[in-house]
Amino acid sequence: MVLYVFRQTLREFLRSRRLLPWIFLSVLTFVLAANWRELSPTSGVLERYTSVMSVFVYRLLALASAIYTTAIVSQEVEQKTISYLLTRPIERWRLLLGRYLASVVVVGGVCMVTAFLVSSAVFAGSQVNHAGLLERDLAALGVGALAYGALFLFVSLLFNRAMLICLLFAFGWETSMPNLPGELYRVTIFSYLQGIASHPPLQAQDKLLAFVMGAIGPKTVSLAACWITMGILIVSLLAASCWWFTHFEYIAREDAE
Amino acid sequence: MIRLDHASRWYGQVIGLNDVTCQIGPGLTALLGMNGAGKTTMMRLITGQLRPTTGSVRLFGLDPFANPEVYRHLGYCPEIDSFYEHLSGRQFVRMMARLTGFSAREAEQRTTRTLERVGMADRADRRIGGYSKGMRQRIKLAQAMIHEPEVILLDEPLNGLDPVGRRRFIDLLGDLASAGACIVVSSHILYEVEQMTRSLLLLHRGRLLATGDLRVIRSLIDKHPHQVRLQTDEPRRAAELLASLPNVVSLRFTPGDEALELEVREPDKFYDALPELVLNQGLRLQGLSSPDNNLESVFKYLVEA
Repeated sequence: MVLYVFRQTLREFLRSRRLLPWIFLSVLTFVLAANWRELSPTSGVLERYTSVMSVFVYRLLALASAIYTTAIVSQEVEQKTISYLLTRPIERWRLLLGRYLASVVVVGGVCMVTAFLVSSAVFAGSQVNHAGLLERDLAALGVGALAYGALFLFVSLLFNRAMLICLLFAFGWETSMPNLPGELYRVTIFSYLQGIASHPPLQAQDKLLAFVMGAIGPKTVSLAACWITMGILIVSLLAASCWWFTHFEYIAREDAE
Repeated sequence: MIRLDHASRWYGQVIGLNDVTCQIGPGLTALLGMNGAGKTTMMRLITGQLRPTTGSVRLFGLDPFANPEVYRHLGYCPEIDSFYEHLSGRQFVRMMARLTGFSAREAEQRTTRTLERVGMADRADRRIGGYSKGMRQRIKLAQAMIHEPEVILLDEPLNGLDPVGRRRFIDLLGDLASAGACIVVSSHILYEVEQMTRSLLLLHRGRLLATGDLRVIRSLIDKHPHQVRLQTDEPRRAAELLASLPNVVSLRFTPGDEALELEVREPDKFYDALPELVLNQGLRLQGLSSPDNNLESVFKYLVEA
């Protein structure tokens, strides 16, 4: 049953009307990556790659997660179609899990394709050794789609209009916390994803660019700690979401107010 | 099949359903009440979308809230006119069948069968977004009965249906009820309910005002004046004779003396006495009607009481 829900939701999420904005953003990122040399003439190939990935692709990941994941339940509530789903003989957690996995596949897919495009644009014709860099980023993006998805799903179950909270988290919290002194970077998802991606350290940087990349403060999270933390976060938030969705009421928006 | 025991539901400071106790068995039962009476709240409690604040709701002896075991035997047709507009009617009903747990093949067969039953087979492949209100209602009914449940709850299902569609819809509900299903239909349009069933639950401001057969409910209002209109070519004489009956409360001539309007108590006794009066006194009556002989008046009486 989870598989059917997954396939049905995937079909829904992959409708051209929904996918077009992401294709546009993906192509835009590719164009930026291809022209980054003109925007930052002093940067090397690896710096260009790291900058574009950190500034655009990981932000795209957070944005897409916020939009797709909040659609899992909130959209059904707002469209008032939730009654159809919740009165079928299927456990609520299965419904939630199938829809969550579909959103993760779409978000992860969009971001991985974008990462691949960025890599192609930046490293085209370059002799620089970048072995493993894209693969690590793809892994980090996959984990990121799961982690952001789990977090935003839980938030969307708790709050009526979760999109705003998720966007504030994605672009406010995730950007500012890694730059603050001390250990605050540990309460962001972005820092762990950067740990998994293990981008090479950058030398000279524009201050604003470094801030957006969350690269101002020092971070010392081991790769193992990154994987373990993300694993725990994903499993615990998913479990909490399934429990919450099973035990609390979800009815059409206007009736809930 | 359905049992509510002192069930109440609050929305913050507002009460949606107030201490309702009732049982609903097989057959067609109408849940009647004005907008805001608590019909949808009651439907949502029965379908397990809401939990009662106090009291209990049971379907087949089980708590319906988020209970897949209950949903295997329950179909729900919500009032809200919301769909996945990009899907066709067939895709939507098939999707609901798959979510019910049927295999792809079984879901397809059931979808075809059910769409034929609700009269949508020839239009099922069009997008729902282009459907008329009546077609949307039928698709909603189709998804509710796709798994042939023992209990079907329909929230205002006749909204937007044309007279022919309405007739077909009512006949279909009658068929389902005759086959032993428990059908609960909510409505605020009383004459529609009257065409469907005599078994009623009357809700007003969250409270269950009356329950049972329409005739039983009618007995509750016997103490209230019941209006009768008599058409006769000798209204003065008729008035004189009728005034002698103990149940007649008031008499009024209509403009032009074409008819006589009476208010009577215990209308059954009045209707028993009237033929004798007509026969014994040779009173000529051209017509006899009662504006109160519909659910509207029952509702009005009980609400005002």
